[in-house]
Amino acid sequence: MSGSPAVRVSIESSCERQVQEVSLDGVETYVPPLSMSQNLAKLAQRIDFGQGSDSDEEDLNGESRESEWSKQNPDEEGPVKFQPCLWPWDSVRNNLRSALTEMCVLHDVLSIVKEKKYMALDPVSQDPTVAKAPQVFQLISKKKSLATAAQVLLKGAEKLSKSVAESQEQRRQRDFNAELLHLRSQWKLRKVGDKILGDLSYRSAGSLFTHHGTFEVIKNTDIDLDKKIPDDYCPLNVQIPSDLEGSAYIKVSIQKQAPDIGDLGTVNLFRRQPKARPGAQAWHSKLEAAQNVLLCKEIFAQLSREAVQIKSHIPHIVVKNQIISQPFPGLQLSISLCHSSVEKKNQRTSPDKTKPDDHLYVLEHNLHQLIREFHKQTLSSSVMPHPASVPFGPKRLRLAGPMAYDKAEISSLQPSDGLLEKIIKQAKHIFLRSRTARTIDCLASRIEDPQIQAHWSNINDVYESSVKVLITSQGYEQICKSIQLQLNIGVEQIRVVHRDGRVITLSHQEQELQDFLLSQMSQHQVHAVQQLAKVMGWHVLSFSNHVGLGAIESIGNASAITVASPNGEYAISVRNGPESGCKVLVQFPRCQAKDLPKSDVLQDGKWSHLRGPYKEVHWSRMEGRNFVYKMELLMAALTPCP
Amino acid sequence: MGVTCVCQVPVAEGKSVQQTVDQLHKKLEQLGGVKQGSFFVDCETYHTTGNASGQPSKLLYVMHNSETPLSCLALYEGGPYLTADANFDVLMVKLKSHFQNAKGHKVESRGARYRYCDFLVKLGTVTMSSSARGISVEVEYCACVVPGDCWNLMKEFMQSFLGSNAPEIPSVFTSKPEGLFAPADCMDTMSQYLELFSKVRKQQVLPGSSVR
Repeated sequence: MSGSPAVRVSIESSCERQVQEVSLDGVETYVPPLSMSQNLAKLAQRIDFGQGSDSDEEDLNGESRESEWSKQNPDEEGPVKFQPCLWPWDSVRNNLRSALTEMCVLHDVLSIVKEKKYMALDPVSQDPTVAKAPQVFQLISKKKSLATAAQVLLKGAEKLSKSVAESQEQRRQRDFNAELLHLRSQWKLRKVGDKILGDLSYRSAGSLFTHHGTFEVIKNTDIDLDKKIPDDYCPLNVQIPSDLEGSAYIKVSIQKQAPDIGDLGTVNLFRRQPKARPGAQAWHSKLEAAQNVLLCKEIFAQLSREAVQIKSHIPHIVVKNQIISQPFPGLQLSISLCHSSVEKKNQRTSPDKTKPDDHLYVLEHNLHQLIREFHKQTLSSSVMPHPASVPFGPKRLRLAGPMAYDKAEISSLQPSDGLLEKIIKQAKHIFLRSRTARTIDCLASRIEDPQIQAHWSNINDVYESSVKVLITSQGYEQICKSIQLQLNIGVEQIRVVHRDGRVITLSHQEQELQDFLLSQMSQHQVHAVQQLAKVMGWHVLSFSNHVGLGAIESIGNASAITVASPNGEYAISVRNGPESGCKVLVQFPRCQAKDLPKSDVLQDGKWSHLRGPYKEVHWSRMEGRNFVYKMELLMAALTPCP
Repeated sequence: MGVTCVCQVPVAEGKSVQQTVDQLHKKLEQLGGVKQGSFFVDCETYHTTGNASGQPSKLLYVMHNSETPLSCLALYEGGPYLTADANFDVLMVKLKSHFQNAKGHKVESRGARYRYCDFLVKLGTVTMSSSARGISVEVEYCACVVPGDCWNLMKEFMQSFLGSNAPEIPSVFTSKPEGLFAPADCMDTMSQYLELFSKVRKQQVLPGSSVR
């Protein structure tokens, strides 16, 4: 019906809660809704435990009821069967009922059993055979299970140990390889077949020695890594040729000539093995020692070859491991190769300490240097490149033609001396130098009055050294410095250059040098008087370095000087000789001489002031610590104060 | 290396070349000289061939000196000089087509070598095709390389044993620039020898021409 006014319809929800009361002002108070537990309690009260689905009576009742209801109301079967509000609690109720039933039965049984009239408790007997058989069975089954478990574990352990062993083996191999790499960085190695060989000779450095110098590298990896590794363990070992084992050195020594030559060739003194450097591998020190032995052998072979080939005045003797030559008469230079293998070390160390060590280490070192220089020469890179038209040779020699070198220059370019000659020359020089030093020191310590000073030059050559010898008097060094000698010690001779320009050549005899120095010392005294006279104002009347009068000296010549006092009244005459010593005479004026006969010839008194007789001075009783001091005092005494 | 002066000593009257040389030897030994072996200097002549006609062929002189045993010196007269290795002789053989060896013109001087302190004196007999033609005296003062400084000393020394035959200062030294440091070298020696040998060769022409 459109057109009619809309009808307002109000809908209100039905009140779910009951109204408890309505207050006077119209406010409605509702009944509070039931909480969960309250609701549960309400539902539980509805359960009728009397109504059970498993009791027979009830079943019958139920059945009858059911049959009634089925007749009456076939539509209401569904709700009557299910009873939806009681269904969640149905099982609970049934279980509780059955439990109650069981508990009642148990209670009844127990009470009946307690009375022991109608029921009694009787234990059940156990069959022993049935009990034992399961134990053995259990054992066997346990054993089997344990065995399988053990097998599994063993398999696992085997795998583990295999892997550990493999890693160890790898590590050993890695160690060996690392060590081999280290070895290769320092020594030449090459692989021949399945062996690793190395070369420790000097052939690649220019040596012409024919020893092969091959060593072999051996693996040393069969060591058990589980046990403690020894401190000096090295995964690789080297095997050196048997003749290079041990250590060797070349001993060069100078001795007085031995009267008997019976025990030549038996020089076998060893020095103690040098301690291996910490941190150096065993193979390193072994290879170094072997290389040193090889070098010593080469040096000795070269020396003995030259000793046999080169002709000299006195032939060199080569016996076993020793070369003996005579640099100076009465002296013997012996060069010997001392090679000790490791086993014999213990036996030979004792005689070392008794014999003095006259080993000239400098010459041993020089021998090593010389042979290395020789190696360098054969390998010299100045040979290549060279013009096609010129034969092989050092570059400077090639230039000798176009630069018109004369013979002296050409001979300086060519190597002339062999190794042996060089070493003999060096030994001679060393010996001469030490003997010169000894002579000068002996003289210096023996004679105090003119002091002898030696200033050795720091810069010297293998064949030449020099020393400056000054003869001075103590306290008068500035005045009396006329004797200054420069000694150039060569290989066989000593050349003396005097301050006044004279050049004297002395031979190697030490007596010559000693005599010469003594004569210079005696000359010095007279020179000192001359200088002193200048200082004191005395006049030199005569001076002679070599007087021809008086006793003949066996060493050098005597020198003499006469000086006169400033006023001419006195004169001092000095004669000094190396052997005869010094003689000092003073000339007095005639007036002071008491025993002069008066003569009629001299009429004027002035003639008595002339100098007259001589009187000798007891020089040893003079005061003063040395000759010049005494002379100064004498001069001072003879110069009267004004 | 030092300053060298080469001069010719005329043969003494009535004596042969050998006797004059012996006389000089004696004089030197009396002076105090020490004999130190022998020396020789020789000179070969090569003609250049195949150059433009009308021009006289230049002569190349190849000389050797025992003082410089590994060298060979080649000189053109007054022209450029060359100091070479000993293989230069082989080279000349290979250059046969351009340089012809005049075999008859080879001159050499052989004799004894004396040393007296810093002086080296070489007395030699100049021979050409094995006939003695003259006497050459070479004096070297080893301590100096500048000719102007030591000429007076050398002259005095030469006068002491050559007497009046001592020469004047050689032209090679006078032609050196004055004031500059111009050291003497082996080429000066060889050019002096070349002059001497040329003189000796020319000398031969005069007596020979009278024979012809």
